[in-house]
Amino acid sequence: MTLLHSSISVSREQFDVFAGRMGRDMDADLVLSSPGYPAETTSVIGIHPVAELSFSETTSPDEIKTFCFGTPGVTMGYVSYTYGMMLRGVDSAKPRDFPLGHLKKYASVVEFDAAAGEATISTNDSALLDTLIAQFAAPQSEAQKGVVVGFPSGAPTMSLSRVPYEAGVRETLEHILSGYTYQLNLSTKFSWECPDLDPLALFLALRNDHPAPFYAWFKSGPHQVLSTSPERFLRVEDGHVLSQPIKGTLRFDEYTPEQVAQLTSSPKEDAELSMIVDLIRNDISANCAYGSVRVENHKSVFAVDNLLQMYSDVHGDLREGRDCLDLFLDAFPGGSITGCPKKSSMEIIENLEPHSRGMYCGSVVVIRDEQNMDSSIAIRTGVYNHDTGQLDSYAGSGIVVDSNPANEYQETMAKAEKFLILGAS
Amino acid sequence: MFGCNLSLKGSPDSFMTSRGEYMNILLIDNNDSFTHNLEHLLATSIAGCRIVVASYGQLSESDLHWPDLIVISPGPGMPEDYPGYERVFEAEKPVLGVCLGMQIMNEYRGGSTGRLPGCVHGKTDTIDWFGEERVVARYHSLCVTQVGDGLNILAENNASIPMCLGSENDSLLGYQFHPESFLTPDGGAFIHDALAFLNLR
Repeated sequence: MTLLHSSISVSREQFDVFAGRMGRDMDADLVLSSPGYPAETTSVIGIHPVAELSFSETTSPDEIKTFCFGTPGVTMGYVSYTYGMMLRGVDSAKPRDFPLGHLKKYASVVEFDAAAGEATISTNDSALLDTLIAQFAAPQSEAQKGVVVGFPSGAPTMSLSRVPYEAGVRETLEHILSGYTYQLNLSTKFSWECPDLDPLALFLALRNDHPAPFYAWFKSGPHQVLSTSPERFLRVEDGHVLSQPIKGTLRFDEYTPEQVAQLTSSPKEDAELSMIVDLIRNDISANCAYGSVRVENHKSVFAVDNLLQMYSDVHGDLREGRDCLDLFLDAFPGGSITGCPKKSSMEIIENLEPHSRGMYCGSVVVIRDEQNMDSSIAIRTGVYNHDTGQLDSYAGSGIVVDSNPANEYQETMAKAEKFLILGAS
Repeated sequence: MFGCNLSLKGSPDSFMTSRGEYMNILLIDNNDSFTHNLEHLLATSIAGCRIVVASYGQLSESDLHWPDLIVISPGPGMPEDYPGYERVFEAEKPVLGVCLGMQIMNEYRGGSTGRLPGCVHGKTDTIDWFGEERVVARYHSLCVTQVGDGLNILAENNASIPMCLGSENDSLLGYQFHPESFLTPDGGAFIHDALAFLNLR
């Protein structure tokens, strides 16, 4: 069967409207980017899954490779933090209510080339191609504009509320002083009961009000992933590797250049980022050529969600004979959400956090072939369970030796704000 | 002591062993997240070297005859968490220990380790490196509080924290700082200095 392509001139707004409609009417999975962010990526829509790989405890890296590379075409999906714990040999006794990972291939993939202002539909089904072309021309109805329906008022329950979160920070500081971790990311989970929630409307409203470069909407059984991440984990383009760890956060109401200076000149935030840059260098070095790993744009800053975020670019080139999944699975989960050293920090996290992270702090992935992929760190991420009507979202903060427990709690709440204000209004 | 044959430029160079072969290096990984950085630094500083990375868990069965140099990685925790290193020091091979690796070497020689006042992670410091000021990256909660038998403090920082320990006679060298960090400018120079000290070049 021949793969058909059709390119259509569209604006980003038109592509977004089309994506929303595909999510509503065609059960599509979405990765939606926004311009002007370091982690900007290609927006991709996957329509009509034709093959799926749901991860269990026994899913091996080889099975994942066979699924992604065995047949041509884009693979989209997520890999959970919990699967990352298995990869790194960290045990968990916590009950799992979420698949360890889920990848799909599709009857049609629609991608948006922002530079050319062009959407390209790829499929080998000519009837589906005609349907999708017609959908681009259809007008947007009011109902698609993303008015949040069914979000409960009132505060969510939290797995770690202020007092136990701050106690967790103090316990982390003791582990740091003993040398078992240098930095550790401690998170909390927020839960709302909202059986009447329209999760797609929530996703589109969040995207409209709080743009970020790595939004993802992905259906996995009864679970619906709503990821609003600003952070890239790993991109591979023709074998060239880029990771962009974020560390260092400053909340602002009105942006001023002085705040950027305040963030970049802070010894604490500097150390937080530098440690994770060394960790990411290490993690990509496992599959990169000697001499190819380098750091650029160290301590750059961008703004998202009323937060200034500091990041760096870590580059490398895949070693001969290695592919993007070798790289991804050896480096997973991302260092910015574990801490350093990784395995020891993950073991401490497992003891400190009462919740299972599941999808949170995992990755949303778009895999094209052995030498090309992009992936996010699934932070600022929620999961809606259609069966139970529960929405969970998560947020966390990196703890280093000069961390103050109250400040870390406030940083965590600032990162959750775009979800929290929905219930407060 | 290092003497005057220090290579401070860190340029890759071929290092042949006494047997006329390229240098074979065993790098023991103490469950650390900087081991591959150290591997890449060794590989880019020592042209033609062959590096095998073995996990700490494989230490008891590792063949210690083939390497020309054994490198002990940094890692979480304290030396007492890593028993079994005696065989490395009894193999009569040159050993370079980094951070925890240096502390393990020091405790093997009867020294001790304690909490570092003002624990430092991911920050740089300036140390006196044989008469030269050098910027190095530091990651440590613990430090050497008593130096082991036969080891000398070869460098320390302004607060008198040992930053380099060694014994030229026994071909042992330890760096408390992290030459493999991107925060250490010209980390390769510290590898060349180590090879010179350990009589490997």
